[in-house]
Amino acid sequence: MKAKKLFPAVLSLGLLIGGGLAGCSSSDDKTSGENGKDGEKVTVDIFQFKVEFKDQFEDIAKAYEEANKDVDINITTVGGGEDYGAALKSKFASGNEPTIYNVGGPQDVADWNDKLADLSDTEAAKAALSGTLEGVTKDDKVLGLPYNQEGYGFIYNKEIFEKAGIDPKSITSYSALEDAVKTLDSKKKDLGLTSVFALPAKETWVTGLHLSNVFLAPEFDQNVINAFESKEVTFEHGDAFKKILDLQNKYSDQPTVSLDYAKQVEELFSTGKAAIIQQGNWVSGSIAGIDEELASSGVGILPIPVEGYKEDSIPVGVPMYWAVNSNKDEKEVAAAKDFLDWLYTSEEGKTAVIEDFKFIPAYEGYDASKISDPLAKEIYEYSSAGKTLAWTFMGYPTGWGQEKLGINIQKYVSGEMTWDELVEESSKAWTEARK
Amino acid sequence: MRNRNLWYWLFLAPALLALAVVVILPLAFGVYYSFTDWNGIRIPSFVGLEHYKALFAEEEFKDALWFTTKFTVVSVFLINFFGLSLALLVTQKFRTNNILRTIFFMPNLIGGLILGFIWQFIFTKVFASVGELIGVEALEGWLSTETTGFWAMAILMSWQMAGYIMVIYISFLEGVPQELLEAAEIDGANSLQRFYHVTFPLVMPAFTVSLFLTLSNSFKLYDQNLSLTGGGPYNSTQMVAMEIFKTAFVENAMAFAQAKAVIFFLIVAAISLTQVYINKKREVEM
Repeated sequence: MKAKKLFPAVLSLGLLIGGGLAGCSSSDDKTSGENGKDGEKVTVDIFQFKVEFKDQFEDIAKAYEEANKDVDINITTVGGGEDYGAALKSKFASGNEPTIYNVGGPQDVADWNDKLADLSDTEAAKAALSGTLEGVTKDDKVLGLPYNQEGYGFIYNKEIFEKAGIDPKSITSYSALEDAVKTLDSKKKDLGLTSVFALPAKETWVTGLHLSNVFLAPEFDQNVINAFESKEVTFEHGDAFKKILDLQNKYSDQPTVSLDYAKQVEELFSTGKAAIIQQGNWVSGSIAGIDEELASSGVGILPIPVEGYKEDSIPVGVPMYWAVNSNKDEKEVAAAKDFLDWLYTSEEGKTAVIEDFKFIPAYEGYDASKISDPLAKEIYEYSSAGKTLAWTFMGYPTGWGQEKLGINIQKYVSGEMTWDELVEESSKAWTEARK
Repeated sequence: MRNRNLWYWLFLAPALLALAVVVILPLAFGVYYSFTDWNGIRIPSFVGLEHYKALFAEEEFKDALWFTTKFTVVSVFLINFFGLSLALLVTQKFRTNNILRTIFFMPNLIGGLILGFIWQFIFTKVFASVGELIGVEALEGWLSTETTGFWAMAILMSWQMAGYIMVIYISFLEGVPQELLEAAEIDGANSLQRFYHVTFPLVMPAFTVSLFLTLSNSFKLYDQNLSLTGGGPYNSTQMVAMEIFKTAFVENAMAFAQAKAVIFFLIVAAISLTQVYINKKREVEM
């Protein structure tokens, strides 16, 4: 009798524990097994955020593996709508640390300090364009390598501008921009526009990070480290900021607080219902999804004018950096560095960066004429001409740009807050965060 | 109950183990982290009650808590009202009962995220078009003010959960003995009196369950909040769960968020337990 009862109980318990243990240990077995069999093979785990070039990146990694038989590259991509930062933290917490991962700027560098290898000796670090390494250099150590450059500004529809008789080249100051907007607004019906702008105040990164950056960068001498170390923010160019925000809000499809990225780019701009949007070269893909022709030849980019500072420049910066995990053994770190070097400095890698990834390179020695995307090309031209503003928003206190300033901007455009209150509250939040 | 021998514990072990691993341990760790300065990466050091002190000084958390409370009161009332009404409707002797039951229950099968996006489309696009067509301006720009955002959430929540709560009420309504109702009818009670004095007390246990479910669900709401309004405009429709998530992952203050979560847990537990206790006392035994 007893044995009969005992059997299923032991069986079920055994299954439960056995299953649990097997589930926990399987991944360890695999790695140790591989290392045991042929000690020569090095595995480089990459954990990266850019979903847009996932396939192309995997292809190039495969090509690298072919050429270097002793290296095994595993790529995991978490990004787009997913929270990369959170995913990275849980990846590290699980003990399954990647070899190569991404950091965004000074705050990330400070957070991950113990797990960043010095990359100063890589070829890529030497080839990086001046200024691109600012946010990831600490005590003369380069702790990250830039992905690429990106830029944003006012993206406009060439055809609509032509029909309205506006020469985009003439728009290099705030007053010129205002005139153009008024002209467009007066001809709205003929041009088939619902509104001149589409201001996505719902996307706090567009207003709180990108737009504010243009007007706050001068205050920090356009240096992200200065922003990161600053104890306060004064809104020195606050009036110019207010003017641009008001202009966008006044001539935008309403209500702007619930206008999001999809409505701005896909629904309004790509269909020709809005003439100008504040966005960057990354929208090319979204526009091409709706109107291939518009994306390939019908769009251009205008500067965001800061009255009293620089009225003809666009902000260009590095969205993310590659970091190498210093916790890994030397061989793996070396293999990771070799791969990144190859990616950005070898001929094969360079071609992929420009033609397959469609990046605006952040390194020297690239043939810019091969950049195919018109927005990317224009941004590269601004960059070469030195008409740029730095990306300093990576140096804002964590969450400040989106959760504090961006939210206050939403309050401001819906009339819940005056501009003075916005400046006061946002500065206070900055000081508090930096205590 | 006395003979808790080896067998008893052996069979209970898997369940206890699972409970410990997925509920009790994380909870204990969470409480521990709330007393440290953990940021998700480095090994934490102890800071004592600092987070708990800072917590109630923070406007955002208080706003979220207040909004959640308002939302919960309204949606608990709406869900139970509609749930009971629907249950009464489908327990009448109609031919379409089974189809109606299925239809009313269906919204509950759709995930909260998707539901949020569907309703976002309805509130922003459909409402605006209808508003334009019939010239009612109040229908335009939903989700762009605090009030409409609030009601949008309440509508979505009742639409989704009423069918589920209906099922609970149905099971109790069908358990009400016909003799009692007949007896009351013979005594001269009209239908309203019969419902109020006979049916209502007998379905009281259903209220206990339904109130508990709606109360805790409304309090903990996250997906619908995220996909419908995203907390916007200007965080005015942000509920506690979302505020905690943002503190943790956007502002990168893991330990602070953990402290908020502990307080949130205590509030939800206290309210739910009080509610169950009060309701239990009002139930009548047959």
